[in-house]
Amino acid sequence: MISKDLSVEFLGVHFENPFLLSSSPVDNCYEMCAKAFDEGWGGVVFKTIGPKHFKINEVSPRFDELTKEGTPFVGFKNMEQIAEHSLEENLHDLRHLKDDYPNKVVIASIMGTNEEDWETLAQLVTEAGADMIEMNLSCPQMTSHEMGSDVGTNPELVKKYCTAVKRGSNLPMMAKMTPNITDMVPAAKASMDGGADGIATINTVKSVANIDLDRKVGLPIVNGKSSISGFSGKAVKPIALRFLQQLRTAAGLEQLPISGIGGIETWQDAAEFILMGATTLQVTTSVMQYGYRIVEDMKNGLMHYMEDQHVEHLSELIGVANKNIVPAEDLDRDYKVYPKIDWDKCIGCGRCYISCFDGAHQAIKWDIKTRRPSIDTSKCVGCHLCNLVCPVGAITTGEVVMKPGTKGNPEDIQIESSRLTHPVQ
Amino acid sequence: MSTKYEKEAPSYTMTTVMEEAARCLLCHDAPCSKACPAGTDPARFIRSVRFRNLKGAAETIRENNAMGAICARVCPTEKYCELACSRTGIDCPIDIGGIQRFVTDYEEQEKMDILRKGDSNGLNIAIVGSGPAGLQTAATLLQKGYAVDIYEKNEKAGGYLRYGIPEYRLPDEIVDVEINRIVNLGAEIKYNVTIGKDVTMADHDAVVVAVGASEAKMLPMFEGNPYVETAVDFLARVKEAKGDIDNIPASAVVVGGGDVAMDVATTLKRLDVKNVTDLVYEEFDEFKASKKELDATQKAGVTIVDGYVPTDVDGNTVTFKHRHLDSEMTIKTDLIILAVGQQVNTDNLGVDTDHGEVQHAGYKTDDEKVFFTGDIAQGDKTVVWAVRKGKAVAEEIDQALLGGNK
Ligand SMILES: Cc1cc2nc3c(=O)[nH]c(=O)nc-3n(C[C@H](O)[C@H](O)[C@H](O)COP(=O)(O)OP(=O)(O)OC[C@H]3O[C@@H](n4cnc5c(N)ncnc54)[C@H](O)[C@@H]3O)c2cc1C
Ligand SMILES: Cc1cc2nc3c(=O)[nH]c(=O)nc-3n(C[C@H](O)[C@H](O)[C@H](O)COP(=O)(O)O)c2cc1C
Ligand code: SF4
Ligand code: SF4
Ligand code: SF4
Repeated sequence: MISKDLSVEFLGVHFENPFLLSSSPVDNCYEMCAKAFDEGWGGVVFKTIGPKHFKINEVSPRFDELTKEGTPFVGFKNMEQIAEHSLEENLHDLRHLKDDYPNKVVIASIMGTNEEDWETLAQLVTEAGADMIEMNLSCPQMTSHEMGSDVGTNPELVKKYCTAVKRGSNLPMMAKMTPNITDMVPAAKASMDGGADGIATINTVKSVANIDLDRKVGLPIVNGKSSISGFSGKAVKPIALRFLQQLRTAAGLEQLPISGIGGIETWQDAAEFILMGATTLQVTTSVMQYGYRIVEDMKNGLMHYMEDQHVEHLSELIGVANKNIVPAEDLDRDYKVYPKIDWDKCIGCGRCYISCFDGAHQAIKWDIKTRRPSIDTSKCVGCHLCNLVCPVGAITTGEVVMKPGTKGNPEDIQIESSRLTHPVQ
Repeated sequence: MSTKYEKEAPSYTMTTVMEEAARCLLCHDAPCSKACPAGTDPARFIRSVRFRNLKGAAETIRENNAMGAICARVCPTEKYCELACSRTGIDCPIDIGGIQRFVTDYEEQEKMDILRKGDSNGLNIAIVGSGPAGLQTAATLLQKGYAVDIYEKNEKAGGYLRYGIPEYRLPDEIVDVEINRIVNLGAEIKYNVTIGKDVTMADHDAVVVAVGASEAKMLPMFEGNPYVETAVDFLARVKEAKGDIDNIPASAVVVGGGDVAMDVATTLKRLDVKNVTDLVYEEFDEFKASKKELDATQKAGVTIVDGYVPTDVDGNTVTFKHRHLDSEMTIKTDLIILAVGQQVNTDNLGVDTDHGEVQHAGYKTDDEKVFFTGDIAQGDKTVVWAVRKGKAVAEEIDQALLGGNK
């Protein structure tokens, strides 16, 4: 079994590996965190701890899933707020985790309703021995509008509360940002101005996932009604990566330390977040679906990836892809690339034909007798929808041509991607 | 182009293997893994496939089972992992063998080199026999730091992997790849040496007898008959020639009803023998061959007649009688193949066997330096059990010589 150093330094704290449970039910007590540590997680962001005066009263049932064809959990909707355990219990658990697992990182997630709350909570979790603080400025389904994403979308409040936390504690601190905002940069900058050392993102995306067609109510049905609430899991990964990119390319935030969250389930997802600028990685939904054990393949797969990339430390990979994601207006629009169809692989299903006709440019000719598609280059725009729908990988990128009136050498155009090839023939 | 005899069933692609892996329920305390005799841990490697970690999947298989690519092809999975699979509660078990084959093909395609030789402990072990049991014993010992010499009476290594299981189920090339991994780990294979006859072992710290049941059984009435060949001789001859043998008969009669008989009958059909009749002592409800093998053989066009025993033979004409019915059948044929079992020969090897196996559990003999494993040890007579027994005997040797300490 391959063995490589996965450790990272983040906000001055050493992590044996970058994989953390994000703040949620997956780490809401000592036993859960202990089991997760035993199974190999590098740290936990303990379930968000609120002020004593804020009474938590949760709904039941509280989850729903988005499916597609045979695939469950494409995305996951939850209506849960913050920790259900008492403040005392939570502080007790934090303390014992740190005692029993001194080499793992215990991060306290906190949320208050006013400056005093934030400051007090920061103080309490620091006394309990936490290594770091995460400010939950982003839960989208709080029953109080003084909490959660309503605060996180208001840069003034963000800055004020960050300052309060820094008054209460000198631990490294990250502000957890909501994606329910057009531009995350102002909120992130406000938190840094208030003293945050880094950013955690994303929290869940506001959603209505499904409607019960008979009862005409959103799901889950809570005694006849439902609410807008947070969406997470695989479906939100693209949204999370987009925010990482925007943060890391904003003026002044190029070196922003980020704890990446949103739909991480495989080592490939993890590698993507790292390439987009994350140093640590947080996970909830895939753990809820599959259990802590998923960390084994995330760690092992990441080690193999490092080996393949000839990289000794993950730090060498952080943010490497940011420079290759540029504004749309900066992309090369002088060429197009035609698809290439491998007739030996083609099984004659005609899916490419249907998608090209109904969703692209009617550029695939279909031979009704041989059941073989061919490309009509006079119509093909090179969108490669056909590549994505072909069930056997028979369509790849083919000839590159320069558009009329443009200069340039087709051979210099870079379009290869392992996304377009299958690892085993 | 490979011939009909050589052609293996098609394998998965990246897309189709994910579809199959997606059927896996990722069970808690997975029954499939508990049911694998060799501890290959299918639940673990299927989960790795599911989470797109093919290299990790290959590591799990290889580290648990040095014959991983072979077991993927020849394991009677319906008796082991797939029998236990929870998915059966919904429809049919996960194709664990197929996924294992895909992963080990990937391992080979990527030229992964997973097993690591242990730091030398200065001890040297002799293994008699290079079948799967001997090979696995070698792999485990080498990883623990022992030096290993394997003595093989044949020209090539592999035992029944090489000379028994037909090419269309287990290509020679796969056997080569698996053996090379163990040679690369440091095993020395000495060919054409029959231990007990040619030489005896003295200068080794321990000897492992892994000679299998490598001799065919004969029925007295067929002795010396020029039309008669034993199953394992026939299978070895066809495999060596890659199916290109002289004098393919127009018809053949197979005697026997185990998996070996099924392999012989199916091989004959793949060689385009027109009439293949298999006469079997057992009746269908007491059949020895696995259901999978039986179905495949019948699908290949073999006529299987159950409940008959040979009573008389005159050159190429055999007479069979039904065990219970008043029925007799006389067949004249070009070739008679006896698939009535294999027997053990442990002469001068310091291991006593009776009815094809040592009559006590475990892997030790009265001589503290002599161990045994594989088909001659108690337990199932399959490749995956040979792997299990190979791992186990290596542990026993390590305990005996070093108390399990490094
Ligand atoms: C036709 C056939 C098909 C089979 N199909 C399957 C299948 O699909 N799946 C499955 O799981 N199992 C199958 N089996 C059973 C499986 O092959 C055996 O259980 C397995 O090979 C036993 O391994 P082994 O190492 O104990 O012995 P063997 O494979 O028999 O190897 C023993 C080795 O020792 C060598 N040897 C013997 N005596 C000496 C000596 N004195 N000195 C030196 N070398 C010696 C032999 O030449 C041979 O190479 C099949 C068997 C046969 C015959
Ligand atoms: C059931 C549930 C409860 C959550 N509770 C919290 C919480 O208490 N504090 C918090 O900061 N985030 C909370 N989250 C958000 C997650 O920590 C995470 O940011 C989000 O789910 C995206 O990651 P994922 O796709 O890996 O689940 C919760 C998410 C879920 C699904
Ligand atoms: S998952 Fe557990 S806590 Fe939730 S409803 Fe089921 S049994 Fe109860
Ligand atoms: S989608 Fe692929 S397999 Fe189907 S017709 Fe087109 S090229 Fe052939
Ligand atoms: S028993 Fe079957 S469904 Fe369960 S983990 Fe094993 S292969 Fe998957």
